[in-house]
Amino acid sequence: MAKKKALQRKKAVDFTLLMSTLILVFVGIIMVFSASWPEAMQDFGNGYHFLKKQVIAASIGLGSLLICMNIDYKIWKKYSLLIFILSLILGALIFTPLGREIKGARRWIDLGITTFMPSDAIKIGSIIFFANFLANKKDKISSLVHGTLPALIIIGVACGAIYVQKDLGTTITLAATLMGMFFISGMNMLHLIFMAAGAVALGFLAITGPENEYRLKRIIAFRDPFAYKLDIGWQAVQSLYALGSGGLFGLGLGKSRQKFFYIPESYNDFIFSIIGEELGFLGTSFVIILFMVLIWRGIKIALSIEDAFGCFLASGITALVTIQSLIHIAVVTSSIPTTGITLPFVSYGGTSLMVYMSAIGILLNISRHANLDRS
Amino acid sequence: MKKPSYSSKRRLIFVFIIVMLFFVVLIGRLGFLQIVRGEELKKGALEQWTKGITIKSKRGIIYDRNGKKLALSISASTVWASPPDIKDPEKTAKEVARVLNLDEEFVYNKITKRVGTEKIKQWISNEEAQELRKLKLPGIEIVDDNKRFYPYGNFASHVLGFTNIDNDGLEGLENTYDDYLTGIPGRWIKTTDADSRQLPFDDEKIYEASDGVSIVTTIDETIQHFVEKAAEEALIVNKAKNVTIIAMEPHTGDILALTNKPDYDPNEPRLPLNEDLKKNWENLSQDELLEKWYEMWRNTAISDVYEPGSTFKVITAAAALEENIAKPDSHYYCDGFIRDIKGVVLRCSRWYNPHGSQTLLEGMNNSCNVVFVNLGRQVGKELMLKYTKAFGFGETTGIDLNGEQAGIVPASAENIREVNLATMSYGHGIAVTPIQLVNAVATIANGGNLMEPRLVKELIDEEGNLIKSFDPVVKRKVLSPSTSEAMLDMLEHVVRDGTGTKAYIPGMRVGGKTGTAQKIIEGKYAPGKYIASFVAVAPVDDPKIALLVIIDEPSAGQYYGGTIAAPVARNVLEETLNYLEVTPIFTEEEKEMMTEKVLVPDVRNMKIGEGGKVLTDIGLRYTTEYLDLTSESVILDQFPLPDTEVQKGSIVDLYLNIKEGETIIMPYLIGKDKSEVIEILNDLNLNYELKGEGKAKAQDPAPGETIDINRKIVVEFEGT
Repeated sequence: MAKKKALQRKKAVDFTLLMSTLILVFVGIIMVFSASWPEAMQDFGNGYHFLKKQVIAASIGLGSLLICMNIDYKIWKKYSLLIFILSLILGALIFTPLGREIKGARRWIDLGITTFMPSDAIKIGSIIFFANFLANKKDKISSLVHGTLPALIIIGVACGAIYVQKDLGTTITLAATLMGMFFISGMNMLHLIFMAAGAVALGFLAITGPENEYRLKRIIAFRDPFAYKLDIGWQAVQSLYALGSGGLFGLGLGKSRQKFFYIPESYNDFIFSIIGEELGFLGTSFVIILFMVLIWRGIKIALSIEDAFGCFLASGITALVTIQSLIHIAVVTSSIPTTGITLPFVSYGGTSLMVYMSAIGILLNISRHANLDRS
Repeated sequence: MKKPSYSSKRRLIFVFIIVMLFFVVLIGRLGFLQIVRGEELKKGALEQWTKGITIKSKRGIIYDRNGKKLALSISASTVWASPPDIKDPEKTAKEVARVLNLDEEFVYNKITKRVGTEKIKQWISNEEAQELRKLKLPGIEIVDDNKRFYPYGNFASHVLGFTNIDNDGLEGLENTYDDYLTGIPGRWIKTTDADSRQLPFDDEKIYEASDGVSIVTTIDETIQHFVEKAAEEALIVNKAKNVTIIAMEPHTGDILALTNKPDYDPNEPRLPLNEDLKKNWENLSQDELLEKWYEMWRNTAISDVYEPGSTFKVITAAAALEENIAKPDSHYYCDGFIRDIKGVVLRCSRWYNPHGSQTLLEGMNNSCNVVFVNLGRQVGKELMLKYTKAFGFGETTGIDLNGEQAGIVPASAENIREVNLATMSYGHGIAVTPIQLVNAVATIANGGNLMEPRLVKELIDEEGNLIKSFDPVVKRKVLSPSTSEAMLDMLEHVVRDGTGTKAYIPGMRVGGKTGTAQKIIEGKYAPGKYIASFVAVAPVDDPKIALLVIIDEPSAGQYYGGTIAAPVARNVLEETLNYLEVTPIFTEEEKEMMTEKVLVPDVRNMKIGEGGKVLTDIGLRYTTEYLDLTSESVILDQFPLPDTEVQKGSIVDLYLNIKEGETIIMPYLIGKDKSEVIEILNDLNLNYELKGEGKAKAQDPAPGETIDINRKIVVEFEGT
C-alpha cells in the first residue's frame, strides 16, 4: 500500500528542463567534435579522440542523471556533510602524488583509467552542504552570528579549496553561486552591502600585487584587445574574429578556421566562439535561449517546491549553471576580462559534464515534488 | 519540513529577472559583434588566415628585327620548403641536400625555420626536379619558375642588359623596357592555420599573372654577329683596351648593331669572360667586385666621351657647305703650319712635306688640318657651334638605354677662343660619345635629318600581335639634301683616294673618314695612348648603313684610324652589304686597279721627306697621321713590308722615330730681335710665349739646356 501511495506521489519530471539539457549536451557533443578535430588530428592522429571521450562522459552523465532523477533529493540533505567533506578531500588529493598536471595547471587527479577534476565535485558538494545549512538556519539567516558568519565560513572553505588550485574563474563562479543561494535564503541586506565592499577590496588585492601581475595584464588586454593582439590580447581578439566571421548564419558546421590553432583548446574555454563562427548569430542565440529556458525552469522549480532545502538546492544548481554560462559567454564576447571557464554541458570535459548532468538529475527529482504547471 | 519563506520567493524572482536581463544584454552584444561589426572582424580574421604567394608573370621576349629571339624566359624549377609540414627534418635535409648537391646543415637550417615558406634553391635542373619529385618529401615543393636566357651568350650584351634573380631588368633594354617586359604578377591566395599550414577548405584563389609584352628591337642579329666578330678580332689583333662598333640605319635611326668589347655574358653577368680575370676576381672584396662589375657593364658606346679627332672634320665641312661658305672645289693652301695664333703653332700632319695648294675635297682626302683650320675660321665660331649643336653634340641622343652622356661642347660662342675654333675644326678640344658621332654621320647620309637613335621598333604580345609600334623620330633638319649629297661624295673620295682607302671595297660605293686622337687622361694628352676611329657610310648613292669603329688604346704598334679602324669597318661593311644584297658595280678604273700591282719599296731608315717621295713616285700613297714630327724624322718601319705585292694606289703606313720626350738643345736668344726669335723658334717647332717689346733680355730655359720639344719657351724683351 505504501508503495502504491509512493507511486501515486511520484509525479512526472519537468520535461522542458530535461529536453533543454539534453539538447545542450547534444549541441556540445557536436561542437566539441568539430572544434577539437584539428588538435585531435595533430596530437593524437585521430580526429575522434575528444568526441569519443565526450560521448562516453555524456553517456555516463545521462545514466547518472536518470539515477539522480529517481533518488529522492532529500537523501542529499541527510548526507550533505559527508558529501562536502568527501569533495574537499578529493580536492586535497591534487596535492598528493595522485594529482596530475595538464597544460601547466594542477587541477586533476589520476584515477588510473581516467582523470577526474575535483573542483566540479567541490562545486556540487558545497551547494548541497550550503543548501542544507541555509535550510536549517532558515529563521536565523539574517542574524550576523547565526547566519552571515557561519555562511561566510562555509563559502570561504569551499572557495578556498578551489582557490588553492589557482583557478580564479571557478572560485568566482562558486562564490557567486553560493552568495546567490545565501541572498535567496534571506541574507541581511546590510551585511550584503558590507560584503560587496569586502569583495571589491578582495578583488583589488587579487589583481594587484606582484605575484598576480598576469591578472592585471588580462584587464589591460580586456580594455583594448587589438592593441595587444599578438600577446595578452590574442585570445580575446581570436574569439572576436571567430564570432565576427560567423556573421548571422555562420560559416557552416565544421567550417571554422579559428579552431585551426588560432584559438588554442577551442573545445574548452572558447567553445562558444566556435559555435558563433560555425553557426552564426542564430546558433549563439539558440544556445543562449536554451540556457535561458533551463534557468527559467530551474527557478520555476525552486519557486514551486514547498521545501526550503529543495528550494535552496534547486536555486544553487540553477545559479551554478547561470553564473558559469554567463561568465563563459561574457568572456568569449570580450564583455569581461579573459578567464578560463567552460560552458556547462557544451564544453569538453568529462567530470564537468557528468557532474552537471547529475545536478540536473537532482533538479529534475526536485521537480517531481513541486507543483508545476507542466505543459 | 521547512518551507521556503515568501521573501525567498521574491528574491528568486528578482534574481531571475536580473539574470534574464544579463542574457538579453549578451544576446545584444553578440548581435553587435556578429552582425554590426561582423564584416570588420571578418576582415581581420581573413587577413590572418590568408597567405598570398606571388605568381610570377612570364617575362616578354626580346626579338631582333627579323624575329630571332635574343632574350627569352625558360622554365626552371625552384625548390621551396614549408617547414610546418615537414615531419622528419633530418631525413628531409639529407635527401634534399643529396639531390641538390647542397650542404646538409644548410638545408636543415632552412627547413626548420619558423616560417611558412622558405626558398631552398632557385633554378634547379630538370633532372634534379624530377628526382626530387619522385622522393615525394612532405613539405618540399617544386615550383615552376622562369629564368632569363640569352641564347647567344655574350652577344649584344650592352644592348640587351640582363635581369636579376627576381627577373627585374637591371641593365640595357631589360632595364629601360622593364615595365613592358615584366607584365603583372599574379597571386595565389590560400588560407592557413595559425602555424601556416594550408587549411583543408576549398577557399584558395588564384589570380593569374598577365604575362609581359615582347619587344622587337632594331638590332639585326646577322649584322650584330658581323660586328661582334669584327670587334673581337680588332680587340685581339690591336691589343686594345676597348673596341666599340655601332651600325645604324641612316634613314630611321635604327641601331642595327652595337657592341663594345670586352663585354660579358648576360646569362652570367657577374663573371668575366676571361679565365684569368675570373681567377683574379675571386680574391676581390665586395666593393672591388662591384666596381669591376659596373666597369664591365658600362656601355662605352653611349656612356663614354672621347675626342673625335679628324672624324669631326665632316661636321666642319658640312657646316661650310650648308652655309655656302665653301664648295668642295674651293682652294686652300697648306704650308704645314698655322702660325698666326698667338702662343701656339698648329701643325698639319704632313707639315714636313706640306700639301701645298688643295681643294677642300683634297683637304678632306688628305685629312689636312690646315685646310680645316682655315675652313673653320671661314665658318666662324657662331656657326661652328650652331652646327656642332645641331648635329646633336653636347646633348643626349635620346637612345632608349640608360646612362647616356651628353659630351662636352663650348657653352657659348663667346667661350670659343681663336685656338679653340682652330682645333675644334679638326675635332680636338671637344668631347663626344660614339653614338653621337655615328648619329651625326647618319644625318649627313640620310639627306640631313638628325634622327633619334632607337633600339625598339615594336611591342608585340605572345601571339605576335602588334601592341604598339614606335615611329622613327626626326629631331631636326640639319642639312639640305644637296649638302648631304656633296658630303657623301667627299667621303667617298676619302675612301677611294684619301686616308680611308683601307675601307675601300671594290665595286661598293663606300664613304668614310679616319680619325686618330691622342687620349686625354686627367686633362693631359697621355703619351702613347691613342684612339683610332673610322666612320663610314655605304652605299653612298643609297645609304643603308652608317658605321663607326673605335679602337681604344691599341698597343700592338699601329694606331692610325686609317690603318687599324678602316679595315675593321671594311670587313663589317663588306659582309653587311653582301647580306643586304647590295650588288657590286665595278668601274673601269677599279677593274684596272684590281689588276695593276706594284711591289712596295723599302723606305726604312730614310728621312720622311725622301721616303715619301719614293712612294708617291711609283703610285703608292703613304700616311703617318702624326702631329709632332721633325723634318729630320727617320722612317723606322713600314706596313706593308718591302717587296709585298699591293694594288696600285694602296697606302703604306710609315712609323717614325718619334719618341715621347724627344729633346733639343735650347738655342741662344738673348739680344736678338723679336722677328729673329720667332723665326728661330718656329724652325724648331717650339711653343713659346713672348713678353714685352725690343730685344730679348731673358730666356727660359737657359741657352744650352737640353729641353723637351713640348716645353713652352718664355722670352722677355726690353726696349733699348
